[in-house]
Amino acid sequence: MLGCYDFCGHYEWTFAWLHREGGHDLVRAYWDEAIHGDSQRHAAELISEGGIEGMARYWGHTLADEAAGHHTTVTDRVFRVDMHQCPSKGFLLRNGLEQYPDYCDHCMGWIGPMLRASGWTVDHEHNHHGQCWWEIRRMDDRTAPGPAGGLSGEHDVRLLPTWNPKGATIDAYERANDPDDKSRRQVT
Amino acid sequence: MTNAPSALPYLDSKPRGAADFYFAINATFRFIRRRFGLAGLQGYWADIGHGYFAPVTERWKRGGLAAVAEYWRAFFASEPGGDVQVDCGDEGAVIDVRTCPAIAHLRAGSREIDPDFCQHCYFIGEAMAAPAGFTVRIEGGDGKCRQRYLKRGATKGDQDLGAIRRISPC
Repeated sequence: MLGCYDFCGHYEWTFAWLHREGGHDLVRAYWDEAIHGDSQRHAAELISEGGIEGMARYWGHTLADEAAGHHTTVTDRVFRVDMHQCPSKGFLLRNGLEQYPDYCDHCMGWIGPMLRASGWTVDHEHNHHGQCWWEIRRMDDRTAPGPAGGLSGEHDVRLLPTWNPKGATIDAYERANDPDDKSRRQVT
Repeated sequence: MTNAPSALPYLDSKPRGAADFYFAINATFRFIRRRFGLAGLQGYWADIGHGYFAPVTERWKRGGLAAVAEYWRAFFASEPGGDVQVDCGDEGAVIDVRTCPAIAHLRAGSREIDPDFCQHCYFIGEAMAAPAGFTVRIEGGDGKCRQRYLKRGATKGDQDLGAIRRISPC
């Protein structure tokens, strides 16, 4: 039986299987159709109907259920998550599991299209070490994300010494909804 | 059942999994079936059994049927919401699934379950077992089943897939 205890392990393994069978387009289709459109359809319903309040309800439940080390900041215009210890990527790192080149892309792979469908867009960075931040705003809100500490104060993951150590690779999304719409920088 | 997941090859920091991940497992099966058909889905299950679960197979090679039973005890202790008894005796390692945690959660969440969801236990289990010298036979399904891990050759013929019940509509 496939279990939920080690779900992130066989989920990541499945990305690599799909890539072998159908390439990058099949992996993207999987995130959008199977995860956004099927598995997490309750998230889409909550956020479509409740906006930021729906985001708080959805991620409040799911991040607590997964025992994530995180902080959320909610205003009337933006929903921000600072992920200090991603339970999902953390599981892979602790167990030495890496079949697919960038596991972290799966979040934008399903969350991006889900948010686009209800008029939201994302500024986001992840460092491939189980840390990331997200700011979600209405598509017609042109506000740029602030500097480190600006919105979530001391909880901003970018203030942690582990955020961008020398040699780290950070992927950045700017007002994005597509998992491929990112830039990459190496910390020197 | 023991709560110590030491027989598991991949360990998490929390003692039990998040049940909503069963939604994603079911959705994954549905996606692969739509793209590749039932035979393709069965191939995916066999591949994951051979590949992702290879460390389990290695432990079964060394530890025999006792290791098979130990694995499944630890496995079900880490899954939320099931009622499962695992025994090891002359008959082999026998898993009596009185309440399947996955089916129970999918039903509670009003999810449409892939009709052949229960076959994954056979195809993954057999792929894990065969290289270790074992085979698995499953009877039942749709929330309750009996799985027997036996030495290869202890039973004649292949698994009758008709003995694995399809998912009934909610």
